Amino acid sequence: MEQASAIVLWIAFLLYCGSFAMFLVALFARHEGLERVGLWLVAGGWTLQTAALVLRGTAAGRVPVVGAYESLSAVAWSVALVYLALEFITRVKAIGLYVVPVVIGLLVAALTEYEAPRELMPALRSDIVVLHVIVMLTALGALYVAGGAALIYLFEEWRLKRRRLSGVLGRLPSLATLDKLMFHATLLGLPALTMGMAAGVIRVETFAVERWWTDPMVLLSAAAWVTYAVLLWGRLRVDWGGRRVAWLAITGLALMLTIRFAAVPYLSAFHTYGS
Amino acid sequence: MLVVVTGISHKTASLELREKLALDGEAALRVGRDLMTHAGACEAVALSTCNRTEVYTYASDVAAANGATVACLAHEAGVPVAELEPVVYHHAGDAAIAHLFRVAASLDSMVVGEYQIVAQLKDAYQTALEGGSTGPVFNRLFRRALEVGKRVRTETAIGARPVSVSSAAVELAAQVFGKLKKRTVLIVGAGETSELTATHLKAHGGERILVTNRTYAAAEELARRVGGRAVPFEDLEGHLAAADIVISSTAAPHYVITREHVERAMKHRRHRPLCFIDIAVPRDLDPGIGRIDDAFLYDIDDLRHIVEENRHEREKEAAKAECIVEEELDEMRRWLRSLEVVPTIAGLRDKVEGIRRRELDRLAGRLGDLGERQREQVEILTMSIVNKILHTPTVRMKEAAERDECYLYVDAVRMLFELDGSEAAEAEDEAAAAEDEAAGAEDEAAGAESEADGAGAPEEDAPGASAPAPDRDAPGASTRAPWQDAARGSGPAHARDEFEPGAA
Repeated sequence: MEQASAIVLWIAFLLYCGSFAMFLVALFARHEGLERVGLWLVAGGWTLQTAALVLRGTAAGRVPVVGAYESLSAVAWSVALVYLALEFITRVKAIGLYVVPVVIGLLVAALTEYEAPRELMPALRSDIVVLHVIVMLTALGALYVAGGAALIYLFEEWRLKRRRLSGVLGRLPSLATLDKLMFHATLLGLPALTMGMAAGVIRVETFAVERWWTDPMVLLSAAAWVTYAVLLWGRLRVDWGGRRVAWLAITGLALMLTIRFAAVPYLSAFHTYGS
Repeated sequence: MLVVVTGISHKTASLELREKLALDGEAALRVGRDLMTHAGACEAVALSTCNRTEVYTYASDVAAANGATVACLAHEAGVPVAELEPVVYHHAGDAAIAHLFRVAASLDSMVVGEYQIVAQLKDAYQTALEGGSTGPVFNRLFRRALEVGKRVRTETAIGARPVSVSSAAVELAAQVFGKLKKRTVLIVGAGETSELTATHLKAHGGERILVTNRTYAAAEELARRVGGRAVPFEDLEGHLAAADIVISSTAAPHYVITREHVERAMKHRRHRPLCFIDIAVPRDLDPGIGRIDDAFLYDIDDLRHIVEENRHEREKEAAKAECIVEEELDEMRRWLRSLEVVPTIAGLRDKVEGIRRRELDRLAGRLGDLGERQREQVEILTMSIVNKILHTPTVRMKEAAERDECYLYVDAVRMLFELDGSEAAEAEDEAAAAEDEAAGAEDEAAGAESEADGAGAPEEDAPGASAPAPDRDAPGASTRAPWQDAARGSGPAHARDEFEPGAA
């Protein structure tokens, strides 16, 4: 089962790579049909990755989000999910080229850290932990996408402003599209982040961890939450322009990355991965 | 018989001459028919657009067809032949077909990658079709040409990016705003370029168009033409606050909109981006505007730069389009070759011989108690029936080969006997088949040879099979046979009756 999961994940990885190639060719050849092919390849890759996760979960007898391999793969899965949802629901086109490399990167990181499923420590065997992990992964996926869109937005705006149009015109998504993307992705990410944090707090309260609110991870999470809340408020209530929203999204992205790759594994005193 | 094209285009003739030679539907048809009655052309189509007037004929005497076409065009245009001759180009055979395909692919257009040519070509063909001046060859040729146009459009990005200043302005605005729906366009000044740009923006969804000018009447005039609303020039800042895209092209020698104007207007905009496009020389818009947050400023040089770059890109795509032309040319060439007499006779004989063979094989069981001699008699009898039936058609087709319209017979035979079907269609052993015709009942070698063909597998190594036989590796080329095209072509008979020259 574990082996099957790894094989299926590899195939999914290849499909993602294929879709990236399609997007690249579509960009240079300006071929919309290829872009659609790319989109379907991502959908196929995601479906297979889902299957791989299920197989892995069945092999391990738990939700497969424990350890670097599983959790990186799960983040990749949720980024792809967010991308597909945004693409199909909001019809924001032409972002696959920027999102799929993130998925591929995460999968490469995951595959290099491959390990056999390990036993879960007793403290983590709870529904609330499962909920916490799943909604946090969704939040991460969505907020990474928002941050990526923000980076492209700032780059493109800078080019347009300086009238350096080659490489931008007709190739990158329009500023309005990216603005919409940042907004929609945050709109999806913030509620998930809120839920995930609430689940975390409930869990930590039941274990009566002392002074948990001074933990670096908790503080950073709170900062990220405020950043995204300000972003949504500014965008919805005061009509903030794309640039300010983009800077907030990037700040949020930096915080989320720090949380995921520094605070959670190294800084936090009580957050463990079952080792 | 060859496809011949004779004509003038923007590459060879002046606009003045092209204007004189522009043919409307009626004139195009008249030219075509004229060439068919007087110059021995079997089929004719005249294509006339603002950039070209050219006449395609299917004729055996290339020089005569050329001469007649030039004379005919000179007559239509009311210019002496001598004036026309130096600017006319001719192509014949493959070159003419390639030319048509390149025209359809817009590779020969003034603006490579433009869209109209396919529609114009379609109209020209339709007119000729309804006027009865096309036949199997041109029905196929022009449909293929339209297909080339379509393929080039879908398989290359030749027309993907704009190559005019006003459409480049639209592309710029779209890069900022995405879809232009619900966007407000403010036109400052009533110049011609601003009108063109406004029309483009409107075509791309720009919803509200405001026009302002120092002279209110001019603003009203332009507003009426582009379907917008004239607004007073005095309230410029108010309009700036409301607009998303500003296009300026006044003749003013100084800046019409200054940085201060925009800064004040921006306060009311809450960071919504504002895109300025300055088409005027000298410039209307203060370059300082570009430094304001959320304001994007472009001038005519930027637009020209975009156009230049897009042109360059089209040239790259044109190389891909040339490949498509080449492919289609190959296929057309193959098909035209199939219209020659000798392979058709061979194909016909193979087909019938195949039937005879199969029927004999089928009966082999029931003829079991026949002796060797009787079997031979049956063989001779059936073979002689085949030969007798095929004798007259063979002789008639060979006679027809001497005449121009022989391809019509070929076409008919191929249709009636389904020679372009999957099997046995293009037998290669034409030499063997030609001998076959003379051969009597005792020619067992020929019989044996056809046996292989009858089984549905023509042999590569048949004697004399090598050179000019049509390629049977291309069932695609032959499945949509000329008769199909011809059948469709002759379909709208009622349309022909209703055809009104003036309407075209």
